[in-house]
Amino acid sequence: MPPRLRSSNLLPSASSAPCTLCLAAQSQTISLPVPSSRQFSQTPRPLITLRRRKFYEWLNGPGRQLREPIPDSTNYLGAYDKFGNLVRAGPGWRKDRAAQKTATTAGGQANVEAQTEKPAEDVTPAGQENLDQLEEAIRAGEAEQKGAIDGAEKKGEEQKDGKLPPESQEDLRPFPLNQYFRSQPVLSEDLREAIYRRVKKDGATVSLASVEFGVNNERVGAVVRLKQMEKEWIAQGKTLALPYSQAVLSMLPTTPHIDTTLPRNKSKRPIPHEPINDLIVHPATRQQLFVPVAESRRFTRVDAGKAFDNDLLPADARIPHPELVQAEREIEAGLSFEERRRLAEERLEKEQESKRNAEKRKEEELRALKVVPQRRWDFVFKDVSVEAAGRNGKGAAAAGWRYGVPHQDRKRGIPKIPTRVEA
Amino acid sequence: MPRKKPRFHSLKKLHVRQNWSRWSLYALSQLKAPNVTSRTYFQQKWTAKATTRAYHGEHIREKKWKHMFKRTLPAVVAMDYKYLAANDGSEQAAGRGMGADVQSATRTPPMTPYMQMAYYPLERRLDTAIWRALFASSVRQARQFVVHGLVKVNGKKMVYPAYALNPGDMFQVEPASVMFATGAPKTRSSSARRVTKAKAAERAAAREESGGQTPKQPKPSDAAVAQSTREEPTPAELKKHLQDLMADVDGVLAEDVKAKDKQKFRAFRQSVKKAISLWRTANPESVSTLDTQFDFLKTQIAERAAASLPRETAAPEPLMSDEDQKRLRDAFEKLKLETEHTSAWNRRNPRAPYATPWRPRDYMSAFAFIPRYLEVNQNICAAVYLRHPVARQGLAEVPTPFPIETGQLAFNWYLRNR
Repeated sequence: MPPRLRSSNLLPSASSAPCTLCLAAQSQTISLPVPSSRQFSQTPRPLITLRRRKFYEWLNGPGRQLREPIPDSTNYLGAYDKFGNLVRAGPGWRKDRAAQKTATTAGGQANVEAQTEKPAEDVTPAGQENLDQLEEAIRAGEAEQKGAIDGAEKKGEEQKDGKLPPESQEDLRPFPLNQYFRSQPVLSEDLREAIYRRVKKDGATVSLASVEFGVNNERVGAVVRLKQMEKEWIAQGKTLALPYSQAVLSMLPTTPHIDTTLPRNKSKRPIPHEPINDLIVHPATRQQLFVPVAESRRFTRVDAGKAFDNDLLPADARIPHPELVQAEREIEAGLSFEERRRLAEERLEKEQESKRNAEKRKEEELRALKVVPQRRWDFVFKDVSVEAAGRNGKGAAAAGWRYGVPHQDRKRGIPKIPTRVEA
Repeated sequence: MPRKKPRFHSLKKLHVRQNWSRWSLYALSQLKAPNVTSRTYFQQKWTAKATTRAYHGEHIREKKWKHMFKRTLPAVVAMDYKYLAANDGSEQAAGRGMGADVQSATRTPPMTPYMQMAYYPLERRLDTAIWRALFASSVRQARQFVVHGLVKVNGKKMVYPAYALNPGDMFQVEPASVMFATGAPKTRSSSARRVTKAKAAERAAAREESGGQTPKQPKPSDAAVAQSTREEPTPAELKKHLQDLMADVDGVLAEDVKAKDKQKFRAFRQSVKKAISLWRTANPESVSTLDTQFDFLKTQIAERAAASLPRETAAPEPLMSDEDQKRLRDAFEKLKLETEHTSAWNRRNPRAPYATPWRPRDYMSAFAFIPRYLEVNQNICAAVYLRHPVARQGLAEVPTPFPIETGQLAFNWYLRNR
């Protein structure tokens, strides 16, 4: 088959859609050697396709706002409409001006603070179980710290002023189509520092700090561990990633720290960061059960747990802070303050006793090991039971290499990636 | 002939990928809910699987992922301790059918979106967790960091990107790499290279000329002195400037030292410069540092006030009270501290592999979120994997860009034969 006539200087799209962008592109690319669309074909590849044009149109139009972060605010796709307008912004707001505005308006912060002293009930949600309320409170608190909220009568002024109102739930959606995901607040630097000081300097237990700051147990532990490491780095004179840290924290929603020791925060309570009493859904409770029960019987949570699984404890015992339930019950029983404190101290004493015992046991186990130090390695002897090998002598818990059982670690298909790293 | 490898970011077939690129952002903005009316169930499931897998662990082979897939999805319910204390659970069963149940409809709690959790085992992988903690700009980059030995888990080097993090594991990435990954790239255009080369050649020539000695830079201030022959400003003008300056001083003082945005300081510096340029009659060489700037400003103002006092009997108060002076001094000190801070931590560094002073890369803010199962300390670029991601009422912790219908279809795809 003879090769087709080469029409390399003609773009196929130019005849069909004579728009200005196409023509511009054509005039730019006309001097370049035009690559062919296929290896075997002489037809030139269209350099600016419709898709590409649309892509750049979107990037330079609606997507333009997402390129740079908004100072001191989140900047997610969900906060914009399809034309690229920030939905929550007032008519007077402009991104490039926002930075200057923060500079000029910060002067009036002193009188803002006087007005924002609200009763504590407005700031803190009643129960800690409602996540939406909780996060709304966090956002309100954050906005308050930035000096954005000023009471209702100032709102109109604000819009003209060009200040951004606090984010709504839709504004925190990085993925607009996924209704069930939003960017949740992270701990602010001050709050991390406060948690670290409370645990390390004041010697509060993790669960106490967790209740006080409204941060769950694991996170308190992690914050302390990371802060400890940060202090070590500072002591060693290592370079911290400070510019990165500042940039990231200004892009994220954060939970502010309300220092109640300060006189101006006297009427406030700390803003809880997350629900701290999360109950893990037990696999046994995933099924539906029909348990006939006599109407006269008092069928409690304990019985319900037993009905699902014999070892399943009720929710009161399985939540991370059962002591809160206990304390609440004692208040309802009408015990006096001294009585309650005595009971709490007893419980604490008991808990610490069990902890001490466990530690002692572990120490004794370590002491029972016979260690023979050598030049490079230490020999450690410990008592083992022959019974651990099991009936066929291949028990996995048994010590040592067993005759006739090959090593698996060189085999194909057996993962050699470690499953755990000791801290 | 082997099939051509499809483009990673194709405009013909849009894929949301696990990175912070503009293509991913564009694909994200063009996402639509799946078509459930005119397609068979199998087609819907296939498309859902294909689109979600293009995002979740596209660098993992399908067989590996199938092996990791779990049909049991973790969830939690937030409990109210006050409710637990007040009730023992028997109230839920009491009096059913005997007229004792209340009619007041309690608000039904939002649905628990289990179906958005289909890919939760992948969030356990080390490379994915590094990306979720905002230490890398894509999962593939995070993977490269791991393979190159820049990542430690619990203080020990870990080179396996597929390492499944256990709750409580701490991972840390080299801060320089994090700044490289998340910072704006260095511009490496040919023209920039040409300019630097030309400058270097010029400098070398100048050195040759002066016989191996570094030549003195021509002072730009000499020209400024020659030009600044304007008369002294009027007292009214001066007063207005001082008022502007004091307004900015308040702003500077309200800011804490770890200021998030530097614009305020820059604006203040600008205003100070403006105020000083009004006084450009004296020798400007002394107005180089902030300290001297302040002293210069103060002495000039004092002189001016002293000079204007006998002439202007109508305005006898000095231009600056002691209190104002103190505030101005505080503002200057803060500014000095901030400048030192910036020069120490975020200075220009031509050796760094990213643009300096450091700034976040384009489109980073659109992707910047940290899920709750991680606790991150950005200062040391370390994070702790607290627990596995869970679903709770109205919220699934696995960050996925797709609607819940797609998640459900994809989950159903992997349920087969199981």
